[in-house]
Amino acid sequence: MKHQFAVQIGPVAFRIGSAWAAPLDALARLYAGYPAPADGICDFTVRLEPEKPWRRWLRPSVAIRGDYILPDAAPMALGHGLLAAEMGMNLQMALGQKRYLLLHASSVEKDGRALIMTGESGAGKSTLAALLGERGWRLMGDEFALLDLATGVLLPFPRAVSLKNGAIEVMEAEVAPDRFGPRLCGTPKGDIRHMRPAADALARMGEGAKPALILFPRFGSAAAVRGVGAAEIFMRLTQSSTNYVSLGRRGFDALTGLIHAVPALAIDYPDTDTAVGLIDDFQRELAA
Amino acid sequence: MSGTDNDKDGASAFVPSRRTVLVFGVAAASTVVTVRPALAQTAGSILNCEIPVPGPQAGGSYVAQDGSLVAPGTQGAAPPLTRPLRGEEVKSLLRNGTSPAGVDPQSAQAYANYIRRLQAGMSGFTCYASLQMPR
Amino acid sequence: MAGPVFHADPEAAISSIALDGLILLFHAPSGMTHIVAPPAPEILAALRLGPADAGELLARLRAWYDFEGDEAADAIEARLDELEAAGLVRRA
Repeated sequence: MKHQFAVQIGPVAFRIGSAWAAPLDALARLYAGYPAPADGICDFTVRLEPEKPWRRWLRPSVAIRGDYILPDAAPMALGHGLLAAEMGMNLQMALGQKRYLLLHASSVEKDGRALIMTGESGAGKSTLAALLGERGWRLMGDEFALLDLATGVLLPFPRAVSLKNGAIEVMEAEVAPDRFGPRLCGTPKGDIRHMRPAADALARMGEGAKPALILFPRFGSAAAVRGVGAAEIFMRLTQSSTNYVSLGRRGFDALTGLIHAVPALAIDYPDTDTAVGLIDDFQRELAA
Repeated sequence: MSGTDNDKDGASAFVPSRRTVLVFGVAAASTVVTVRPALAQTAGSILNCEIPVPGPQAGGSYVAQDGSLVAPGTQGAAPPLTRPLRGEEVKSLLRNGTSPAGVDPQSAQAYANYIRRLQAGMSGFTCYASLQMPR
Repeated sequence: MAGPVFHADPEAAISSIALDGLILLFHAPSGMTHIVAPPAPEILAALRLGPADAGELLARLRAWYDFEGDEAADAIEARLDELEAAGLVRRA
């Protein structure tokens, strides 16, 4: 491809090729400080290509291609090329990741204990992880949590955080401007702005942590905490995993091992500060 | 695992204990749930998807009110859409009956019914499946 | 009762873990995971004694358990259909 960018994110190396320079320039700025793939070998390739040859210039329209593709993927405006690259990387993980149990979850770590947060879109798992990452926790990832099949250790995947709509202002108030990508307005998911995680998240991207707590956060109600039964945790986690079924017994053993080892709580929260307070309380209880 | 002695081989659940009451319930109550691949659910949240109405394999067909495909020009049927519907448009159409921009409400209902009839392998199915999350 | 005769895979083909009164089954031949509630695990256990039809299965279960309700005969056929659809039992 005409333009190329390669980056190491936790245990996964990506190469992104593009017919246009602009999306990769934006990507390189966003991923400043990330290592290049150690041996130059990449696990996954993403390609940003014109949907049709003439669409490289005329109303440029970016098709997301790569090692793994999904039918029905819609092309995106070139102005949203950075988002297309991010979606392409996510898609490779969702379709191609076979070394780890992949949970659609955010995760943070403190004192060697990892907290896994999963829930439906809009539950706030990404915003909460981003916020905790600025308030004494290490951000391990905002979108995917990788569970090592053999050891049960959670591995970091600290790609740029994808902030949506209201979460953008929340994080702009906390984080220096140079860690943000451009604000992408009017994308299919509303306004999106990417944010580079804090320096310790990058420096420690090779360092896993034992899961200590699974949280199912839900934004919008008065603060409440309730326990979640093991069977429900199991079902919810299988539904948040893109590769549970294809991993077969290894997935079953890894997920049942996680459930036996780690308690789970569902929390409702009216605002992010309340949630951060609840989570810090849990952390103190785990440490006690 | 708690390490109690009756789960050491993982098969304790199948060791019947005598004279326990077994509840059969009613014939209609389901007792087996199979874990299905969850890719489709996640796909929608990480990808921007779209649904052509109708799919390219049925290009030119009109869409009857019940969502079935009928011959072009059929009375009371909606013409094929000139552009695919975006995931978000489909979501609000199916949930709230909101017509996509430029589509009259009656045609919108026909398109909604077409989408509800999509099956695996048809263009747009993965996108539709990803919008089916109970959320 | 001379209905279809079913058989189940040997115990070694299935890993099971009890959770909250439900049981997770990993069925190795298919690679599928099932979450089952009583009386499905008991039916599988009874079927491992050898192929049986619904009537024979009921007799085996009656030797182990007291039944609650009068619907056992209807319910066991529905349960066998479910287990067959899930690939956990097969017609002999």
